Amino acid sequence: MIPAKFEYHRPDTLSEAVALLAHHGDDARVIAGGQSLTPMMKLRLAAPGHLVDLQAIAELRARGSVAGFVKIGATCRQAELITDESISRLCPLLREAALQIADPQVRNMGTIGGNVANGDPGNDMPGLMQCLNAVFALQGPKGGREVAARDYYEAAYVTSAADDEILTLIKIPTPPIGHGWAYEKQKRKIGDYATAAAAVLLTKTNGVCDSASIAMTNLGETPLFAEEAGKLLVGSTLDEAALKAAAKAAVAITEPAEDGRGPVEFKRAVAEVMLLRALKRAAGRAQ
Amino acid sequence: MEDQATLQSAVSFNLNGEPVLVEAPFGERLSESLRERCGARDVKIGCNAGDCGACTVLLDGAPVCACLTPTHQVADAEVETPAGLARIDRYAQRLTTAFARHGAAQCGICTPGMLASAVALLRAAPSPTLEEVQDALGGVLCRCTGYRSILDAVVAAGQGEELPVAISGGVGAASARVDGVAKLSGAELFGDDVAPAGAPVVKVLRSPYPRAAFTLGDLDAFIAQTPGLICVLTAADVPGENSFGVIPGFEDQPVFAESEVRFRGEAVAAFVGEAEAMRSFDPDTAPIEWREASAVMTITEACAAGTPHLHAHASQNVMCQGYVACGDAEAGLAAADVVVEGAYSTSFVEHAYIEPEAGFARVVDGRIEIASCTQAPFMDLEAVARILDVSPQQVRILPTAVGGGFGSKLDLSVQPYLALAALKTGRPVRMAYSRQESMQSTTKRHPAEIRLRIGATSDGRVCGFDFEGGFNTGAYASWGPTVANRVPVHASGPYYIQNYRARSRAIYTHCPPSGAFRGFGVPQSAIAQETLFDQLAAKLDLDPLEFRLMNALDNGVRTVTGQSFDTGVGVRACLKALAPKWRVARDAAQAVNAARVSGRSPLRRGVGLAAGWYGCGNTSMPNPSTIKAGITPDGALTLHLGAVDIGQGSHTVIAQIFAEAIGVALHDLSFVGADTDITPDAGKTSASRQTFISGNAARLTGEVLREKVLRLCNASGEATLEILPGSGRLQVLDGAQRHEIALREMPVDSDGYALAALESYDPPIKPLDANGQGDPYAQFGYAAQIAEVDVDMTLGLVTPVKFIAAHDVGRAINPMLVEGQVTGGVAQGLGMALMEEFIPGRSENLHEYLIPTIGDMPEVETIIIEEADAHGPYGAKGLGEHVLIPTAPALFNAIRHASGACITRAPATPDRVLAAINAAREA
Repeated sequence: MIPAKFEYHRPDTLSEAVALLAHHGDDARVIAGGQSLTPMMKLRLAAPGHLVDLQAIAELRARGSVAGFVKIGATCRQAELITDESISRLCPLLREAALQIADPQVRNMGTIGGNVANGDPGNDMPGLMQCLNAVFALQGPKGGREVAARDYYEAAYVTSAADDEILTLIKIPTPPIGHGWAYEKQKRKIGDYATAAAAVLLTKTNGVCDSASIAMTNLGETPLFAEEAGKLLVGSTLDEAALKAAAKAAVAITEPAEDGRGPVEFKRAVAEVMLLRALKRAAGRAQ
Repeated sequence: MEDQATLQSAVSFNLNGEPVLVEAPFGERLSESLRERCGARDVKIGCNAGDCGACTVLLDGAPVCACLTPTHQVADAEVETPAGLARIDRYAQRLTTAFARHGAAQCGICTPGMLASAVALLRAAPSPTLEEVQDALGGVLCRCTGYRSILDAVVAAGQGEELPVAISGGVGAASARVDGVAKLSGAELFGDDVAPAGAPVVKVLRSPYPRAAFTLGDLDAFIAQTPGLICVLTAADVPGENSFGVIPGFEDQPVFAESEVRFRGEAVAAFVGEAEAMRSFDPDTAPIEWREASAVMTITEACAAGTPHLHAHASQNVMCQGYVACGDAEAGLAAADVVVEGAYSTSFVEHAYIEPEAGFARVVDGRIEIASCTQAPFMDLEAVARILDVSPQQVRILPTAVGGGFGSKLDLSVQPYLALAALKTGRPVRMAYSRQESMQSTTKRHPAEIRLRIGATSDGRVCGFDFEGGFNTGAYASWGPTVANRVPVHASGPYYIQNYRARSRAIYTHCPPSGAFRGFGVPQSAIAQETLFDQLAAKLDLDPLEFRLMNALDNGVRTVTGQSFDTGVGVRACLKALAPKWRVARDAAQAVNAARVSGRSPLRRGVGLAAGWYGCGNTSMPNPSTIKAGITPDGALTLHLGAVDIGQGSHTVIAQIFAEAIGVALHDLSFVGADTDITPDAGKTSASRQTFISGNAARLTGEVLREKVLRLCNASGEATLEILPGSGRLQVLDGAQRHEIALREMPVDSDGYALAALESYDPPIKPLDANGQGDPYAQFGYAAQIAEVDVDMTLGLVTPVKFIAAHDVGRAINPMLVEGQVTGGVAQGLGMALMEEFIPGRSENLHEYLIPTIGDMPEVETIIIEEADAHGPYGAKGLGEHVLIPTAPALFNAIRHASGACITRAPATPDRVLAAINAAREA
């Protein structure tokens, strides 16, 4: 068959975009930066009949800090996130991770919504959003709803969003002043997905940890939120033994697959090192 | 039928400041629209997947991959391409000057993407640091330069460096490239850049299986049913021999498989169709029935008893063997005080030039003309004539600029399909391999399985050496025989070894054909020999450098083939040049590691060393070059460039040699070619032979033409020539005397020259006997390199920190180009050592197949050694392949020094290094 002929739509409003998706059902896909979808279409992994381009919708590009949340519109590009001083000050983990995504060209086109929406297990932002306990706003024909990042990912490329829903906004609870953060990513070269990566956000009071959140990238079919590992740290002084125990607990929930980045046991070993380094840096940064 | 009107629409945007309206189907890539609908062929396509960055353009000022940008997304935006920037942007102009001065464009295929990215950086940060440049250019791959010259050029441009670019000077001058301007302005035309937009397109149907039988369905019906298809080509359409190869007697690869395929990616049929239709045509939709059979993919499998033979003529799947022996290896080993041994394996390595194979063909006055990227125009000509069953006079090859070759573009790729399609349709046709097609179907570096034993006496002398190497040559011969012959000659390394035996075998498997890749098997054997030398030195309690000096070849000392050289054996000079730096680096590593141990850092610094040698030219076979030059009646001095410059700079080197010999400045020359109709055969660009062999032909041609000029006016040998293009005169200044030659009054030859010369050079060699004794090469080049690395002991991650590379080039015709070759070769050696592993069916793209990025290449300090060669032009030796031979073993020795890990498998990926670290800890 002759593949991949499709209609292109460029709505100006979110409601038009939602209506288009509702009308064309699973024959339609949204496109924002195109950095994931275009290669997938080339490989015929995706062959939609209708493409709905979100980039003309102004409201999806807005971002800012409101009432205890950092809010990032879905079509905000990675490069915009990196250069946004205010967001970087409130939530420096975002910038630290965004800088490790792909290469400059991809960061200039790629959007944060595109990075989190599709459930690509290699992407960095999904794990980061789980660490930050972000909430994704979805808009569909029946209206809007919110899903926690920790509940959003079901399997590789499978999410809890319906075919006719558009991920419109990411809401991140602004981390407390003085929090510690780190994103550690082992990759083979510029532009590569992680062999293993770990995101850590924690707080401490008088030297004692009172919250800790740990998530991991590319160590399973979905990003992994290591809830138990985080709990192990609460109440500790973030001493080396506590960090090691947390890292071990986090590694225990990984299910990496062997690929060009290495065999399973190697990936687990790398994951443990990434976790420990992220935990140490975050602990060192927390005030 | 779908309504076409809804599937495409016009989109308007600004292109390089001018409004354009483009009619394109939805989903078309911006790269395609720019190249084929807007004529912007300066936008290069390397991978079509966002991996290589060659297609980088500025979208509203930000660098993006045009291949990942749907055209309709740039509506109303500002798009700037490299050529547009070079014309109007002041930063681009500053950058192109700096690129030329620093030799930052070699083949030039990545240059547009580099320049676009660098312009965006300078606009935001006019004086960037090295780190900022590294970050900004991180998304553009380069396979030639090793990146350092590019980094230096961008930093220099940011600092306002505006030194003029000099294209002048003869031998020894660091002149800018004679072909540099086109590479920097975006005007250079590569294989896919010469065809007119709209020419019919050829696409090949390839096997999805490594081994299968097949039956083609009703292709005529398929053509009739498929809009836009013109015709199909199969084995039945081949008028001559349905086979090709690069070595006489080894033409075993079919143009189209006839009933069975022997590797994944083998061609079965080709479809020719109209350009618009072929954009979405997928050859895999053609009717074909496959019957997959079990394949043998490794040397072990192929040699196992009972394994079927890939080719009837190759018993046990052994394609050919090589052998060199002197003295008595077994007796030498028995007499040794210390013996070390090892088993090594290496992987398929992909050339990964950023330009996929591409070209254009047409029939002109009954002759077939093929314009394509190639390293060997005359070999292409003969091979195509054989396939078409026409006389060689009926074929013309017009090599385009070559976007990297490294050996693989010596073999035929697109040429036979283009020729057959042009003849069958009677129309001009074009084709460009996709990245996947290029990686699936073209040649690779041979994976090697090597066993080596080396013995030494307690006084530190190597006394016995027994080498056995199996080379996975894939499904067809290609350059496998060359690898099998070269390896036993070179496996000793540049050392005197009294008792020596080296056996090599090239083994057929159902893998892509292995062929020529920078070093022809020598980089693989050097890994085994040079890492075992470190183990020997350790056992003898000798410093690795001292141990090598004790065994290094010298003038008058015989090699393992019994050859000896009166002059020009430069390995000792290379090692001695490294010696002070070696001691400093080893001491520094010790201090660094002491601090790291106390600081509980997981990093350990290691410093390793390796040497290497490489014989320039074909092994014990004639390989002449012929160079022609002439002076036109107008007064222009024209040099015919028949040698293909694949980025290494041979056009510039040959021109510098010719200019020196005839006694004019480089900028006095004009150039023609390469074109098999007008440039004589300067041989293939391979075996590090162009500087040496074509250089010598250019020297002789220059000398003869000078002599003719001087004789005309009875001038002395001291006279100087003044070239005055357009004047119709040639002036000769001889002391106080001024002679004027009125060129327009002279009779012209068949090329239209008033004065001309054509000279050939063929290096003196002697055949090898049954024991591999003889003079295989007229010259060797020599090298020694130091690698400094940091090894993360918890991750197995190896980070090269610095290289110091000493290379004996006899005479550096152009030191800038020498440095460019060294740094680029080190980068490829680094890739081979640490990350590159082609796995058929798994890593057929540039995100799964890793090559070094700008973030992977540390500083390379180049030390040029000039031990003049007796035969080389002005003493010069070849260099292209020598540069990567010591790199991988130097890295492995550095890893061992840092971590204790003994690396016997390339590439040393982090998981393998970590396993080796753990094994060393347990031992």
